[in-house]
Amino acid sequence: MDDTTQKSKYKPVTVEKPIPLQYDLAILAGFDTNALDESRLKNDADTYLEEYTRDGTQLIINQIFKLPVTSSDLGVMAELPDLVTVLPREKPVRWEKFAKIKGVQHRKKSKMIYDEATGEWVPRWGYKGTNDDGANDWLIPVPDNADPFEDQFTKKREVKKERITKNEARHRRNVEEAEIALNQSKGVNDVNTRSLRRTELQKQIIISKTATASMGKFDKHLEGEPKLKGVKRKFEPIIGDVKKEKESSLNILNKVVGKKGDIVNVRKAIAKRDQK
Amino acid sequence: MRQLTEDETKVFFEKLAKYIGRNIVHLIDRSDETYYFRLHNDKVYYMSESLMKQAISVGRDQLISLGVCFGKFTKSKKFKLHITALDYLAQYAKYKVWIKPNGENTFLYGNNVLKAHLGRITDDTPEHQGVVIYSMSDIPLGFGVTARSTVETRKLQPTDIVAFHQADIGEYLREQDTLF
Repeated sequence: MDDTTQKSKYKPVTVEKPIPLQYDLAILAGFDTNALDESRLKNDADTYLEEYTRDGTQLIINQIFKLPVTSSDLGVMAELPDLVTVLPREKPVRWEKFAKIKGVQHRKKSKMIYDEATGEWVPRWGYKGTNDDGANDWLIPVPDNADPFEDQFTKKREVKKERITKNEARHRRNVEEAEIALNQSKGVNDVNTRSLRRTELQKQIIISKTATASMGKFDKHLEGEPKLKGVKRKFEPIIGDVKKEKESSLNILNKVVGKKGDIVNVRKAIAKRDQK
Repeated sequence: MRQLTEDETKVFFEKLAKYIGRNIVHLIDRSDETYYFRLHNDKVYYMSESLMKQAISVGRDQLISLGVCFGKFTKSKKFKLHITALDYLAQYAKYKVWIKPNGENTFLYGNNVLKAHLGRITDDTPEHQGVVIYSMSDIPLGFGVTARSTVETRKLQPTDIVAFHQADIGEYLREQDTLF
């Protein structure tokens, strides 16, 4: 077989695209931002897409062949670069982790449920919902071993309130854990969210302490409360280093006037040129 | 009495540079003797090294004034130039305005410079530029800020303002007790 027949049999390895592709070779992907040929897409979509895919694949393969290669007993291997595409990190909350271990399936539940007692559709939870655990019942039987003078209605309400606060605390913990994970992903390893919050709180306490008419001078102090130390102003000595002082003021001057400053008076130069 | 901090120096130089530009160098870097800017009671004083060394032995409360007062820092930390700085401003001024003898009196009473009183003005003075104001016999009378550029002043009416009053030597009488 001579050269010409070979050429006609195989398509060229080089592919021309107006906008070069972007590659993420770690996942063997190329991203083509070129516009599709709409007329061809309408008329013969199959062959066009086939060609298009072939071109794209060819380009990716070309890129792979440019990578550094190592040869092992499995054959020649290309070393793929690091991942370019930023993928969102998995961030499971505590419940999701637990559900995964226990194999708890998530079922989609409808928001409204049928209340057989009243014959109405009511929300599963929330305002006018059904999960009030009988707090709206007109009568609650007193349990056998309960205090007969205890108000069962308030008890139920309090129990529910407690549940809500507990859940809120859990939510806070989840948020904190997510924050820690975020810090770790940013490379701030040793910073604990709690200690962060602690220092933040302490700062706010200090600020709030001075928020009285006397700037906290006459406030009652706790025993063993550390004394607040403000930032002490520090000035250079009256007669210090002459050279240093001169230098620093010249530096400031340069910053104020600009290094070249007004050596060339642009206005004057323009006026002179115009006169000529 | 103390050295100016970096921020203070910056504010001070910015104001000073409006009048004498880069010539501040000649105040800092003098050939005869080392001169310093020092802050005392929020006022900036310019003094020679020998004077400063003598003044160190005076207590802070007892020290009233020394050297040449250039101006003061306001409560909002802006800088206000005093007329006492005029000697140095006049020496190194980049832009000057001369006023006619009939305008001298009104200027010395603290009024702005009008077109009618304008005798001469440095060529190509830009708008809102710090200028030193002289009498026709080249006696510095004070300083101000131009209201218009040199080119625009030519088109002005006689009653229009050419330069805004900042300070004048009349203040030596009017503000004796706060000036130094």
